Amino acid sequence: MSAIELHTINKVYGNSFHALHDLSFDIRDGEFMVFVGPSGCGKSTALRMIAGLESITSGELRIGGRLVNDVDPKDRDIAMVFQSYALYPHKSVRENIAFPLHMAGLPKAEIASRVDEVARTLELTTLLDRRPALLSGGQRQRVAMGRAIVRKPAAFLMDEPLSNLDAKLRVQMRAEIASLQRKLNVTTVYVTHDQVEAMTMGDRVAVMKGGVLQQVDTPQNLYKRPDNVFVAAFIGSPSMNLYEAVLNGRTLTLGSNNFEVPERVFEYRPSLNGASHRQVIVGIRPEHMNDAAIRPSSAEISAPVTLVEALGSESMVHLNIGAPWVDAGDPDAVADIGDERAAVARFSPKSTVRAGDIARVAVDAEELHFFEPVTRTSIW
Amino acid sequence: MRRARRFNINGMLVNAAALVLVLSYALPYVYLLMTSIKPAADVQQIPPSFLPAVVSLENFREVLQSSALPKAFASSLTVAVLTTVLSLAVAVPAAYVATQYRRRITTLFLLFALVTRMVPSVSLGVPLFQLLKALGLLDTIPGLVLAHTSAAVPLALLLMSAFFEGVPKELEEAARMDGCTRFQAFRKIILPVMTGGIAVTALFTFITSWNEFLYALLLTSEATKTAPIVIAEYNSVYGLAWGAMTAAAVLYSLPVIFVTLALQKQIVGGLTFGAVKG
Ligand SMILES: Nc1ncnc2c1ncn2[C@@H]1O[C@H](COP(=O)(O)OP(=O)(O)OP(=O)(O)O)[C@@H](O)[C@H]1O
Ligand SMILES: [Mg+2]
Repeated sequence: MSAIELHTINKVYGNSFHALHDLSFDIRDGEFMVFVGPSGCGKSTALRMIAGLESITSGELRIGGRLVNDVDPKDRDIAMVFQSYALYPHKSVRENIAFPLHMAGLPKAEIASRVDEVARTLELTTLLDRRPALLSGGQRQRVAMGRAIVRKPAAFLMDEPLSNLDAKLRVQMRAEIASLQRKLNVTTVYVTHDQVEAMTMGDRVAVMKGGVLQQVDTPQNLYKRPDNVFVAAFIGSPSMNLYEAVLNGRTLTLGSNNFEVPERVFEYRPSLNGASHRQVIVGIRPEHMNDAAIRPSSAEISAPVTLVEALGSESMVHLNIGAPWVDAGDPDAVADIGDERAAVARFSPKSTVRAGDIARVAVDAEELHFFEPVTRTSIW
Repeated sequence: MRRARRFNINGMLVNAAALVLVLSYALPYVYLLMTSIKPAADVQQIPPSFLPAVVSLENFREVLQSSALPKAFASSLTVAVLTTVLSLAVAVPAAYVATQYRRRITTLFLLFALVTRMVPSVSLGVPLFQLLKALGLLDTIPGLVLAHTSAAVPLALLLMSAFFEGVPKELEEAARMDGCTRFQAFRKIILPVMTGGIAVTALFTFITSWNEFLYALLLTSEATKTAPIVIAEYNSVYGLAWGAMTAAAVLYSLPVIFVTLALQKQIVGGLTFGAVKG
């Protein structure tokens, strides 16, 4: 078990592409750290640098206090689970799991007992003599996990280990990996581009974009206190609705609607005090907009409904807010919303609004987020 | 129902076409076989008959009792085996590096290998002759092995590169994470995974050397003459020993058939080897 420290790490690839910019943060001993971000943001690059499979252009990487910039992967005492699993096709499940122990030169009896123990933990006992080609995707995933945990390494690295599984199995394995990690209490770095995986599994989550770290924090804090517009939009599904608005004193003007911002928000974000015709980006999460006919609020807006997606447990109501829409730079967000101008509200399934109606929308104004229009950072 | 029947008719057509193809390939060889077991006197009979009237091993006895052919077979076999071993020892690691550590220079390297395959061997034969003469390796086994290796390595390199293309990079990386050096990862993981590809390449290399005629003609004489040269000599200024020639040709084809059968499992595995499924 070891902490992993990254200090102003940069990666410039051979084709002079600058993939990571001044990456700095610590992963604590025993922590489950998730790297998340859109495709191509440098998550795998960062992980592979920790693994030693990719050279470090500049900066310092420490594992358990030791500077490992130039240490071979085999000498870093870390195990990795690959997206493709990378099981050894000519070896049986047993031999696959035993391989790292053989390489470590352990006695045969100990290897056998540890492989058996891991097989029991991962429910692989009946599959030990099969070749990987004869296993299902979920079973291969387990073998890859087994090969990683059997060594009792200082840290686990996992690069999108669940992305080849179907949705149902993914949810199941998500829980299994998280509980296994908690049981073993080994420092783990987990890469995903799925923010639901990030939020449900990580002790802390590092959000990256374009090779730059955006924010590292607990899932709750990322959700409640995003540092900037990108994190605000990336965390949470459907994405936070972001619009340009004007704050004048306590009154927020959003399109053609005006409403009062509650006192608590100003306690929370003191620098909003005394605004006069101040341009802001306002963020409203879908779950903080409700049908005013069901749950009235002091802050209400009215907006035409363009679409209602009834999901049974809730209804996704698309609203035309009539204010300038803000692009957070999250490529997944546009796909979520469909029509990029529409705001999405998460209404109770009891709501009777239909496409074409003008809905009265109750805004949970205490939960509003405010960002600077130019720097796009949070206003605190 | 209708779909199934149409599928069956298609299947039969494919099978019939395959049969015609196989027969047209096999026919000359079968004729060779038939001729080789005719009594020497019947071989040149006009009009020729396809089936022998009497089965006789006279021709085989003749070629095996002469000292030239067994000796040539020994040369051929030694040269082919050594060429195969040497070519694989060079081409397998080279192809791995060229495909897995891709740089502009490795791409260029493979391109050059391809280009050397396109130069006619006649053009290379003369400088090779001079080179081996200078080295004192004319008419020696090592000399011919070197010549054959120079011809076989580019082929082996291209074949092995194609096979290595199918090996995901993660396999080596996983091995390195599991405690291997790069070389251990290659030896303990990559090579065993590649047995099919290596078998196919070995077979092609072996056949390249076994069948090679031109270099053998230029670079050897009495001491190390290979089988194809001896077989060709049955048709000499002193006349055409047709029966002996067919018997020698049949014997000459046996090692290739034997090696192919021995490696059959690996070859089928190698030829259908797409991505390594882990
Ligand atoms: N070997 C390489 N040479 C040059 N550029 C590379 C190389 N590997 C990755 N890149 C680039 O570096 C950037 C980050 O790549 P990386 O694989 O780390 O992204 P990622 O966040 O893991 O994305 P994904 O979610 O798609 O896996 C990408 O723009 C990619 O094109
Ligand atoms: Mg990746």
